[in-house]
Amino acid sequence: MSKRSLSTVLMGMLVIPFMISMVSAETLKIGSMSPLTGPYASDGTDIKNGVLTAIEVFEQTEGPIPGYDKIELFPQDTVCDPRQAVAAANKLINLKVVGVIGAYCSSSTIPSSETLDEANIIMITPASTNEQVTDRGLPYMFRMCGRDDDQAPAAARFMKESLNAKTIFIVDDKTTYSQGLADGVSKNAKALGMDVVTHDHVNQGDKDFSAVLTKVKAANPDIFYMSLQGYSPAALMCIQAKRMGITSQIVTQDATFQPKFMEVAKDAAEGVYLTYGFTDPTTPEYKAFEEKYVPKYGKIAAYATYAYDSTIALLKAIKAAGSTDPDKIKAELMKLDFNGASKHVKFKENGDSGSSYIAFKVVNGEFVPYWDPEKGLIK
Amino acid sequence: MDSFIQQLINGITLGGIYALIALGYTMVYGVIQLINFAHGEFFAAGGYVGVIFLSFFTGLGYMESYPVLCLTASFLLAMGYCAYLAVGVEKIAYKPLRKEARLAVLLSALGVSIFLSNGLMLTQGVYDKAYPSELFQGGFHFGNVTVGYLQILIVSLTATLLVALNLLVFKTKIGMAMRATAQDKTMSALVAIGSNRIISLTFAIGAGLAAAAGIMVGLYYGSVRYDMGFVPGIKAFSAAVLGGIGNITGAMLGGLIIGMVEIFGAGYISGEYKDVFAFIILIAVLYFKPTGIMGENIDDTRV
Repeated sequence: MSKRSLSTVLMGMLVIPFMISMVSAETLKIGSMSPLTGPYASDGTDIKNGVLTAIEVFEQTEGPIPGYDKIELFPQDTVCDPRQAVAAANKLINLKVVGVIGAYCSSSTIPSSETLDEANIIMITPASTNEQVTDRGLPYMFRMCGRDDDQAPAAARFMKESLNAKTIFIVDDKTTYSQGLADGVSKNAKALGMDVVTHDHVNQGDKDFSAVLTKVKAANPDIFYMSLQGYSPAALMCIQAKRMGITSQIVTQDATFQPKFMEVAKDAAEGVYLTYGFTDPTTPEYKAFEEKYVPKYGKIAAYATYAYDSTIALLKAIKAAGSTDPDKIKAELMKLDFNGASKHVKFKENGDSGSSYIAFKVVNGEFVPYWDPEKGLIK
Repeated sequence: MDSFIQQLINGITLGGIYALIALGYTMVYGVIQLINFAHGEFFAAGGYVGVIFLSFFTGLGYMESYPVLCLTASFLLAMGYCAYLAVGVEKIAYKPLRKEARLAVLLSALGVSIFLSNGLMLTQGVYDKAYPSELFQGGFHFGNVTVGYLQILIVSLTATLLVALNLLVFKTKIGMAMRATAQDKTMSALVAIGSNRIISLTFAIGAGLAAAAGIMVGLYYGSVRYDMGFVPGIKAFSAAVLGGIGNITGAMLGGLIIGMVEIFGAGYISGEYKDVFAFIILIAVLYFKPTGIMGENIDDTRV
């Protein structure tokens, strides 16, 4: 081998690693926003875990996205606080993420989505059900879960048609989500001819509900409707209601859809009804999610499944677009039509993906589908 | 009327819990003029130690055969642990700053509070921990009024602890030493009272009472979580200020008043403003009597 060809080979060996690194150093950055500390840390952690599971499953089944060798998640903590949420959104903008999954509380999603919109970043919320999330006409705002103005009529109809309720006592904890939903239920219940005896409020972070429950006991309504942010206050309220001897039927909403609810409330949770989007746990898509999620993070909870589907949808769209241009990704998101773990995913013009609220009942420590607005009682 | 009596019982229960926590604030303030913001965290830690041991005993099956023994053991272990924790916190975070400006110690206390609360989150997880629920469920029913067994347990245990504390402070040598240290550290040192020992003891007693309150809250409400110390901590601090900070009887009274106002405010006016009523009472009392309800002879009886 001549001296010259040897040096060429050596030069080549020097250059090759550079070329490889130039091709492979790209990381696709996506962000997630949810409360990782504070009172809703558990629900926020579920969302983060759902996103992480989705990235894992996507990389295994769909392979890498062309041009990138890995997908990295930057989870941000919103504490369910609008200011922290906007700060988190700004941080994600500086990190130059392609898309964001989040946030949890509607009161965080609404202001932070405006910040992200200014930077033209796609946001898909897995959990914020307030109507305002998609009603403001932001071009890059999408929603995987249902809407409160679908949930409230479903809940009111359920109480009227299935539980034959005449009187309702409503309690909320004054968050954008819980109060919006409580107002909706109140309006719909009145429209259906039910009597809303009282609509009372408690504070976020309360543990003692004895005062308001004493009022419930005195009013003795057919239905005691709890609209609370998160499963934790709902569990406490059920325990205290049972201890006080309240016999009204308890109906609550999607934020309570968390296996921890039964773990804390135990027998006090039995017979509680709640409305939540229908998910078929027998589909192969759900099974694929369950297989990866459960061994790592335990039982599947409220919004983990929606977070998973949101992430899969985002990654599918990015791959199909072959670019990080938000308009191209948006165009691909709108074209999506696939079976997710939680439901069939197809986005509408306004960014919603439809609601499928049904009523569940807690039986032997499990959420059992109980009533469907279309079909009535589920056997 | 039934409703009124029920609310009264609810108020006494909640007030008793606030009173127990408030004592820790007031005792520490009495001795070293520090508002120990980490005190709420001792309350939370107590609740966690309680659930760990109660679940352990339940798992072993001892809870069925010796319920009283297991409960007493859990209380003592939690109180002991928190007393130890509080003494450690004092040694590490407050003692080195004792000669510095007051603000430095106050900030250190805030830091310790955040540190402990997040430490609890990282070691115990973000989810609620459920108490074994078979304990003392149910209660007596008088017409429409329900008095839970747990409410009776909380009120009687609180009363016992308060009486015991009063005896300790006003009838024993140690209590005398505590009062002396509170009045004048230099002077009490001259008559051979070790002020460091007394300060440690004060922290230990305060945290022990908070831990007892933590277990009771866990039993009563069914679960504990890592951030449970914050809100009751603020309320109990207000109770201590309302009663006259530094005064033991004042803290008990303040706790009961805050608990009652909260429950009656929520029960008869509106649940969403119950904290507002509690703080309106606080502001009103401080406006007319800046030293708090029992705060007049602060130099003689404070601890």
